[in-house]
Amino acid sequence: MIMVGVAVGLGVTGCKKRGAAEGRSGAVAPIGGLHGDSIYGEGLGPRFDDGEFIEGQFQAVYYAYDSAQISATERAKLEEVAEYLRRNPQVNLIVEGHTDERGSREYNLSLGERRALAARAYLIGLGIDSGRLQTRSYGQERPVAFGHNEEAWRQNRRAEFVIAQ
Amino acid sequence: MNSNATQSSWGTFVLLAGMLVFAPIAEGQIRITKPAGEKITIQLAGLSGGEDEASRVFLQTLQRNLDRSGWFSVVRAGQAEVSAVGSVQVRRNQLHVQCTVMGTANRQQYLSQSYRHAADDARRLAHRVADDIVEAVTGRKGIASTRILLVGVTDNARELFIMDADGGNLRQLTRDRNIVVRPRWGPTANQLTYTGYLQRFPDVYLVELETGNRTVVANYSGLNSGGVLSPDGRDMAVILSKDGNPELYIKNLRSGRLTRLTNTPRANEASPSWSPDGRQIVYVSDQAGRPHLYIISRDGGAPRRVTSRGTANVAPDWGPNGLIAFSSRIGGRYQIAIMDPQTEQIRYLDTPDHADYEDPSWAPNGRHLVCARRENFRSSIYVLDTVGDPPVRLTQQGGDWFSPAWSPE
Repeated sequence: MIMVGVAVGLGVTGCKKRGAAEGRSGAVAPIGGLHGDSIYGEGLGPRFDDGEFIEGQFQAVYYAYDSAQISATERAKLEEVAEYLRRNPQVNLIVEGHTDERGSREYNLSLGERRALAARAYLIGLGIDSGRLQTRSYGQERPVAFGHNEEAWRQNRRAEFVIAQ
Repeated sequence: MNSNATQSSWGTFVLLAGMLVFAPIAEGQIRITKPAGEKITIQLAGLSGGEDEASRVFLQTLQRNLDRSGWFSVVRAGQAEVSAVGSVQVRRNQLHVQCTVMGTANRQQYLSQSYRHAADDARRLAHRVADDIVEAVTGRKGIASTRILLVGVTDNARELFIMDADGGNLRQLTRDRNIVVRPRWGPTANQLTYTGYLQRFPDVYLVELETGNRTVVANYSGLNSGGVLSPDGRDMAVILSKDGNPELYIKNLRSGRLTRLTNTPRANEASPSWSPDGRQIVYVSDQAGRPHLYIISRDGGAPRRVTSRGTANVAPDWGPNGLIAFSSRIGGRYQIAIMDPQTEQIRYLDTPDHADYEDPSWAPNGRHLVCARRENFRSSIYVLDTVGDPPVRLTQQGGDWFSPAWSPE
């Protein structure tokens, strides 16, 4: 728990300094999200529930089975999202978490939420203000691949990004 | 429901020959009890019905309900221990039923009652008569009049449905073209909660079935799911992520006050279910790496982990009998397991096939369970019997049906 507190502290500090390049390399203490940790104590602000929502602007981030950890291969995608948010300070972002079809639907709702929170925490670590980032879990209810095999499951274990403006 | 009971008389101190065991119940009555799994034979040939559709539906439903009650075996004629006699008629769109249930050997009377109900709702009356016969003869509450909530897929949306406990009378409750996740009954069969996305985020909705009223009872930022009313109906256990991680909370529905029960920054919580006395909650957490069941006091404190076998133990339902049913992934497939939370002893229900059995929900009789059976990635709804009757499939339609919940009454 103390570890997590430190991680959150780093994330928030980076956010305030609007840079946090050190968060990118992973050379310093892990930021929240890198290991599937949440940004505990960094609660969610009010939902963005009006305005325009734009889907499909960014690549999905993929996760291992039953994991909310952001793997090394996926970090560049989040850096691209962070870069966009830095260049467009007026927009907000909804991070959507999804799971594959295996397992309990309610547990998958929580797992999808943790995936979204992990991606959100990574973005906060990259300097994005937490108030601009909401999460939404769909669990297993909104697959993009409809097969029942490893490849479909891999594609469905993901976070997607919706721009809110 | 418009059924009127116009008269009633109860048999007393019935004595039957043979292997039957007699148990005195309240009011000095004697009922038939048998070892678990043995059936009381009953014949219905003496219930003479008209040629009309309502009478036919009534008799067919009554027979099926008694056969599935767990306590009876309906036989054609001859050596039945109990027989029902009487009449089934339609007059002016009303179904009139007179039913007397007697012990065959000694002519003792268990039940003699007249009923009247709308003829186009003959199934409902059959459920009621079946439950009356079960209770009069065995002293146990029947389940034929209860209902089951379930989720079905239409046009790639998930909608909420309800059906009778025997799988008949399936009706669609929502037409939102939205998502419904795991409905749960409140303490009465008038209230239910579920997770939906009508406002684009996962929120918990409370529905009053009689009025059709639907209100949002949890729509905090982030995840709102697993909402389930306490036995006294005053509080709701719910999973929220508003503070940065999915955690278990109790929300007082009158004051809106939230109490957080778990604190697991590295883990998920899901699927709370209240103990019958409302003092404890069983829920799922993966704080030990895999999803397992934990029990926590409603006042908080340290949770007690109660499962360790298998790679996942999820979707607990704490039944009126004090036992917790859940789905347990063991040997690569999900099976239904039942735990006594006092001893933490677990029994796996015998389902000898390769399907997955998930999301169990107790019937109010504490004997039967409804669950989703998944095979080749198609899910249908089945009733399982903890005493040993074979599984019965309830959803006869094609399609995908899951997340059943058996009504509390």
